[in-house]
Amino acid sequence: MRKFNIEFTVGLFVIAGILCLAYLSIKLGGMELIGSRGYDVYALFSNSGGLKQGSSVVIAGVEVGRIRNVDLDDYQARIVMNLNEEVKLQEDAIAAIKTKGLIGEKFIEITPGASEKIIPPGGKIRETLPPVDFEQLLSKYVFGKVE
Amino acid sequence: MRRKGWTGIVLLALWAVCGFDPAWAGVPTEKIKETTDKILVIVSDPALKDPSQAAQRRERIRKTVDEMCDWEEMSRRALGRHWAKRNEQERKEFVRLFGQLLERTYVDKVEGYSGEKVNYTGERVDGDYAEVDVKIVTKEKTEIPVVYKLRNKDQRWWVYDIVVEGVSLVNNYRTQFSDIMAKSSFEGLMQKLREKSAE
Repeated sequence: MRKFNIEFTVGLFVIAGILCLAYLSIKLGGMELIGSRGYDVYALFSNSGGLKQGSSVVIAGVEVGRIRNVDLDDYQARIVMNLNEEVKLQEDAIAAIKTKGLIGEKFIEITPGASEKIIPPGGKIRETLPPVDFEQLLSKYVFGKVE
Repeated sequence: MRRKGWTGIVLLALWAVCGFDPAWAGVPTEKIKETTDKILVIVSDPALKDPSQAAQRRERIRKTVDEMCDWEEMSRRALGRHWAKRNEQERKEFVRLFGQLLERTYVDKVEGYSGEKVNYTGERVDGDYAEVDVKIVTKEKTEIPVVYKLRNKDQRWWVYDIVVEGVSLVNNYRTQFSDIMAKSSFEGLMQKLREKSAE
């Protein structure tokens, strides 16, 4: 009886441990198990700048969604974003790929627009800005001058 | 030095788009090309180079700018979500002041033009919207990518944004205006614009 109790308790702890691990990996990995809430919109960028699945989408610095998918569409980067349900994007909102700090990770910043038309689920953000390539910019102005 | 170069480029971009001839009705690139050529003629006209002609040259440029740029659309986009809360009169005043701000920032620097070349590299049309890719080549052979964003309204293509090196004119002002509005108010922003245009 006693032996059974010990084994039972150990078993419980092991299962609890595994559950904790599973929870942690899902949370940290930014995965979602039971579908995802919110809605998807997509945007075409001339350059994704290395943006990855799971990167954040922010408005005024507040996270409002995540990147669901990045792939190539007619030599442009097609980025699908999953946004929170309560966030409404105007048709002329601008999506810009930004970098945290000078060499940090990439994210998408959306500046809300003035239009009365709202982008529907599955719709397209027309106004996009590729990331500014600081290295290229610098080299242009460092080596470009021959005066 | 770098700043000066930038203003020159943005200015060139603005001119290139903003001298529109209503008689044209072709593809967006064609329009921008013709416009650029027309503007280049104005700025390299020796008769207008004289300082005494500065006012007239500016007038001519401003006129072509007015014919082409959709100022209202540009202002609406630059003001962003605050636009909806303004009444007709406030909007009119804002469009006027914003136009003056752009004129002062870019058209004033007409003298900055120094033989840059403009190459047309691509065009995308998607319904009522179009993008025209342009590369401006400076004398030092540096290529500056510029994208013109146009919208078809009343059977005419109007420019509503210019993106230089991935930096959008509208987004630049949208962020700044929203910062100012967050700190003060719409009246505060108008006051700032008025001060700028009185400088």
